[in-house]
Amino acid sequence: MSKGLLTTSVGSFGKPPYLAKARSDHAAGRISAEDLDKLTRQATQEIIDLQVELGLDILVHGEMERGDMVAYFAEHFPGMSIGGLVRSYGNRYYHKPVIHNELRWDGPYTVDMWKYAQSLTDRPVKGMLTGPYTMVDWAFEEYYPSRRDAVLAMARVVREETLALQDAGARYIQIDEPAASVRFDDIDLAAEAMGIVTEGVTAKTITHICYGDFAPVYDQLIRIPVDQFDLEMANSGYDLLDVMREKGFDKEVGLGVLDVHTHKVETVEEVVAGIKRALEFMPPERIYVDPDCGLKTRTWEESADKIRVMVEAVRRVKAEYAIE
Amino acid sequence: MLVTVVGNYPKIPNLPRPARLRNAFARLDRGQITPEELAKVEDEVTIEVLKEQADAGVELLTDGQVRWFDEQTYIAGKLGGVEINGLIRFFDTNTYYREPIINGPVAWREPILIRDYAFARDNASRPVKPVLTGPYTLARLCRNDHYSSFEDVAFGLAEALNAEAKALAAEDPPLIQFNEPAITRHPEDARLAESIWRRLLSGLSGETAVSFYFGPPGDAVAAALNAGFTTVGVDTTIPGVLDAIAAGPKPPKLAAGIMDSRTTRLEDVDVLAGHVEAAAALAGSDNLYVNPNIGLEFLPREQAQAKLVRLVEGVNKARGGAK
Ligand SMILES: [Zn+2]
Repeated sequence: MSKGLLTTSVGSFGKPPYLAKARSDHAAGRISAEDLDKLTRQATQEIIDLQVELGLDILVHGEMERGDMVAYFAEHFPGMSIGGLVRSYGNRYYHKPVIHNELRWDGPYTVDMWKYAQSLTDRPVKGMLTGPYTMVDWAFEEYYPSRRDAVLAMARVVREETLALQDAGARYIQIDEPAASVRFDDIDLAAEAMGIVTEGVTAKTITHICYGDFAPVYDQLIRIPVDQFDLEMANSGYDLLDVMREKGFDKEVGLGVLDVHTHKVETVEEVVAGIKRALEFMPPERIYVDPDCGLKTRTWEESADKIRVMVEAVRRVKAEYAIE
Repeated sequence: MLVTVVGNYPKIPNLPRPARLRNAFARLDRGQITPEELAKVEDEVTIEVLKEQADAGVELLTDGQVRWFDEQTYIAGKLGGVEINGLIRFFDTNTYYREPIINGPVAWREPILIRDYAFARDNASRPVKPVLTGPYTLARLCRNDHYSSFEDVAFGLAEALNAEAKALAAEDPPLIQFNEPAITRHPEDARLAESIWRRLLSGLSGETAVSFYFGPPGDAVAAALNAGFTTVGVDTTIPGVLDAIAAGPKPPKLAAGIMDSRTTRLEDVDVLAGHVEAAAALAGSDNLYVNPNIGLEFLPREQAQAKLVRLVEGVNKARGGAK
């Protein structure tokens, strides 16, 4: 594998129409769990193949088995369950999870699908988890005496799953905390919880954080104990790079170079320019190149069009800078 | 003392009750029903939501904003000079809104809420108030591609909402309410907000309310009173908020958000009664509204209703104590 500017993606891909249909058929009792699992694995194989074909270095399994990043775990963690419908926006609703009892781990819950995905390719596949702060923040919490107690209890559960993925052989484990950047007072709590999750873990740990105004909380945020911060850059004009350069940054960065919220495909030149801005103050070994966020809301065709641009941009930068 | 709500209400119930509105939208998307048929379902759901609030014991209702895609675009999308863009996360909630983009002079073209308000009023067993998103919050959550400054965007929106409020005033509502959560995140803007609100309220004579939530209001309360609001709503579940009001100029009327609508935990009746008593001691019970701290839409429908029932129990307990 190349030594710098490794390419990857954030985690989720959209579900192909046949899987979306199978999932609603299963929910309505029209097809069995076995039939759904077969199609889930088929979609996983297809998304692995697509990533290989696109030339990505570090792959994801695409989260074909997950409804969303909190609900999947809420369905499995003892002490947690799926609650009533809450509106996300417009006509979109989701079952907001509830923490109604003591949180425990009786997993693993993600190792089977990770093993399956990893068995399909020689390239490393990331283990994908949701961080303790986001798990609690995006649920109704009805059991613990304080938010802090709930988040720390959740951290102990997520830690068990992290260790299980590591034991299974995962070299990259990503623990996403998209909620961590929106409530300034809680960032230290999110960091403390992540410390419980990652303590002594030897696999490379990554956290993806998005939708926040990072600049005012940068110093706190980078204390979250992981090896790599995966951050959206393209949709904010790479402004955060200025903050990182000014205040210092000694970890790895997952450099988001594709705005996942628009259909518009970036130009190779735009992505090249973004990567070069990061290279001005960071060595290529510490820069991973990926989209801003999960590609769940894009079709595979849209995702592939965008990723092709990204891979081509990386190829050009590597050639120009003679990066292996 | 009147029990009221801040604005929105959950639009679909959980099983076994059918999610009629959600299904109607899905059928509209598939071309199986017409926009007129969807509008009819929206009307019916509005009636349902009005009845649920009244059944829970709410005394001053809203239409639940049943037709609103989110708190920004329903109003902003009907103004001239505004286009609607992609999804943005709404404050620190795990919900989203479509970002309005200001790409020309903001202009009020026609009444936006009058039909909704009149429909709700005519189909409710209790009084209904119209609720709008305020100009400061709309301006903060827009992208400005036209004006040279944030102030100009906000004044443009204030002008447009003033026209809307005047049109609503002709319907003689008990009050007109503006929700301004964004100012709680920008306390440094209180003075600016005051001038925006002056423009907003210019020429309006009836009761006008402003509602602050998602944080302590700070200087926004004094700014709102200077600008001419008669009623100020705050989240009294946040420690210190009521004390801060006591220390400043006294609002003619206070709307106390005594119950937390972001958690499904049911508050203790005594705790709620205590909040009511504290607010009544400050404002006088004749000048007091009691309501949840924010809109109820962050809760599943059944929990929202259960929490409203609980809130009313707290109010009744306080009312009993006051006798
Ligand atoms: Zn993201």
